[in-house]
Amino acid sequence: MAILKLDHVVKCFGDFTAVDDLTFEVPEGGIFGFLGGNGAGKTTSLRMALDIIRPTSGTIEILGRRPGRENAAEIGFLPEERGLYRRMTVIDTIVYFGRLKGMDAATAKKEAQRLIERFGLGGWTKVAVEKLSKGMSQKVQVAAAMVNRPRLLILDEPFSGLDPVNQKVLEDLVLETARAGSTVVFSTHIMQHAERLTNRLVLLARGRTVFEGTQEEARAQLPSRLTLVSEADPSSLPGVAFARRTKGAEGWASWDVSLMAGATPGDLLQTCTRTGFALRGFESHRPSLHEVFIHLVGSSQETPS
Amino acid sequence: MRSIILVAAREYRQIAATRGFWVMLLVLPVVIGISQVAGRYFRPPLDSAYVLVDQSGQYDSAIDRRLLLNYQRVELGAFSAYVQRWNLSSVDPDAVWAKGERWFPDAQVEQFLSNGGIEAAWSRVAPAKPREAPDYEIDPPAYIRAPLPAGVVASAGPEAFAEGLAGPLGGGEIDTPLGRRPLALAVWIPPEINDASPVRMWTNGAPNNTLVDNVRNEVTRIQRARALQASGLAPDVVEGIANITTPIRLSAPPQGAGREQVAIRSALPLAMVYLLLVTVMTTGSMMLQSVIEERSNKLLESILATVHPSQLMYGKLLGLGAIGLTILGVWVGAAVGAALSVQGVVADIVKPSLSAIEPWMFGAMLFYFFSGYLIISMLYLAIGALSNSLQDAQAYLMPVIMIIMLPVVFMMVSVLQQPNGVFPVLMSWIPLYTPFAMLARLGAGVDFIEVIGTGVMLAAFVALEMILLGRLFQASLLRTGQPPKLGAFLAMMLGKNTG
Repeated sequence: MAILKLDHVVKCFGDFTAVDDLTFEVPEGGIFGFLGGNGAGKTTSLRMALDIIRPTSGTIEILGRRPGRENAAEIGFLPEERGLYRRMTVIDTIVYFGRLKGMDAATAKKEAQRLIERFGLGGWTKVAVEKLSKGMSQKVQVAAAMVNRPRLLILDEPFSGLDPVNQKVLEDLVLETARAGSTVVFSTHIMQHAERLTNRLVLLARGRTVFEGTQEEARAQLPSRLTLVSEADPSSLPGVAFARRTKGAEGWASWDVSLMAGATPGDLLQTCTRTGFALRGFESHRPSLHEVFIHLVGSSQETPS
Repeated sequence: MRSIILVAAREYRQIAATRGFWVMLLVLPVVIGISQVAGRYFRPPLDSAYVLVDQSGQYDSAIDRRLLLNYQRVELGAFSAYVQRWNLSSVDPDAVWAKGERWFPDAQVEQFLSNGGIEAAWSRVAPAKPREAPDYEIDPPAYIRAPLPAGVVASAGPEAFAEGLAGPLGGGEIDTPLGRRPLALAVWIPPEINDASPVRMWTNGAPNNTLVDNVRNEVTRIQRARALQASGLAPDVVEGIANITTPIRLSAPPQGAGREQVAIRSALPLAMVYLLLVTVMTTGSMMLQSVIEERSNKLLESILATVHPSQLMYGKLLGLGAIGLTILGVWVGAAVGAALSVQGVVADIVKPSLSAIEPWMFGAMLFYFFSGYLIISMLYLAIGALSNSLQDAQAYLMPVIMIIMLPVVFMMVSVLQQPNGVFPVLMSWIPLYTPFAMLARLGAGVDFIEVIGTGVMLAAFVALEMILLGRLFQASLLRTGQPPKLGAFLAMMLGKNTG
């Protein structure tokens, strides 16, 4: 069952089309990456899913229902632009968001205490948010998003502004939340996070889907690349699209090889064995999501970091 | 509704936790309290002393008597009002103070005095006063005769007399039977009054015309009587002539009626106009800061994921309304408490004002008050949603406040002179000003049809404002960049998507 489904969704702001005929599905369970460069339409899409703004056309289903505040009890949301009421205490802030999501006061307080301890903020429970460091404030925001133990946790650029230590804390939390049975959707333009966390992903460019599938399927979008150490030029081998000598002039040399679409490194290795093509080295390179992104989105799109 | 209440409660708690709120809340009760304490314990004595030397021996007792009569007349008037206010006439219906009169000729004051004066009257009434009525406070006489200080020789002539009193007349004080008092007047009456030997008076630089007039009138009265006697009239005829007073009967509506009734009935509605202005401007600016904080802190998106913009708006209005009600309640409570616990100006105005208002007027006052509150609060809310900072907000706020305040100030002045004049009536039919104009005019008597008519228009205006400014508020919440221009304003109010 899809926990989030966008079907031919369009969102225009005046003459500007921020989301253009966007269609994708997020299956329930696991971690879903919502990737794209700046201005790709990620935040707008998530806002529409949460009914903060309405689509110009198309339909959205979230938790099997239309977007609306009645879904808030089962959703956790951490927006890209984050802020807190400066004069509220840590516990009051988390409890307030819990109560807005329909929790009763006692349960919200109990859950807030648990998250405060989990994030190492035990000594700051009754301290006003304005006295916290930026890292601590962000933990409070994450806690406020998760206080209701959401079935669907939506994180919009959750790692921006966090130092490496806190990025790791948040990554662990995302994994823990997913293991606990929640579906996590997070948007990012930092592909390394997506690479470490996501099972499935959708890649956006200029408000449109350019890819939807698993990481492996994404990588398969790029031709496989190999480094061979051979005596002969491998360009003529079946499946090889391109070979370039990188080291050595005569005799044994190192070659950078690109395979044709559909050809796999395993196929090439079998061919070499079968035909007696002499090899001293055979190293297959797995394309990164960053490379996939560059490949699919192209140089006209603002490049991710 | 739950979300609205949660938002309202948070707004309330946040504002109630600020020092500014408590300063504002307590400023009026503290001022009332201080004024009461200061008035009771630190009031400088308003009475002053006079010294009188009468070398002729014919005038001093008459002058003292005149001053005593005038003092008792003032007390009689105040005591009569007290008796009326607390319905105590039945204690002695025949007493001069029981008839609710405003003007007391000498004969009545003499009768009052012969019955023991103010002390005796109060002793009679005090046991019958209701529990909630404060004691009647007898003021001391305004002018107290001081004995001649030691060392001042009256027989040495006026210059020596004045020289002997140079100290007190130079701004000092003099011993009187009631303690030391400033010496307001020294009077030296020669053995024989004529052009060469006039009555001499010295003041301390703050001449008291009433005191001087009393002395002069009494001396003149006796002099005229002597002149008439010298012309051959019999003493009893002269006395008859001297005691001629024009019979005057001053008729006025009973206390609390007539023009006074209008003033009394208007007191509370007028006070509510000022309270409305003060509370709405203050809480409005708190609301403004709250919205701007949410915008600048970038926490609106988190809130809007759980609360609909309209719920956020109503929650804010409700929370701020509750803040306004708290301020209003504490202020009105302090004023009413002061009115019921003390006598004086507050009690003279507030208590009769409360009892003079008819039940339907309370309903109308509350309707106009809350409508006015809502109209201006919505403006503040919309401005907050449009502004990225307080500086932005001030650019919008200044013209809005001017448009509201200036006509209201002019209208208030006009209402005090002519409650049903053209300007206040015209303002009553402009919905933005209806709450202020109608509140201000209610006490003076407004046709019920006008109340209904302006009420309907006001309700429609409030509904329209809620829709249009509500759209503006909702459309502006997540907007970034420069504040919108007029065209964008209108588009947002009309519900067009401007991004």
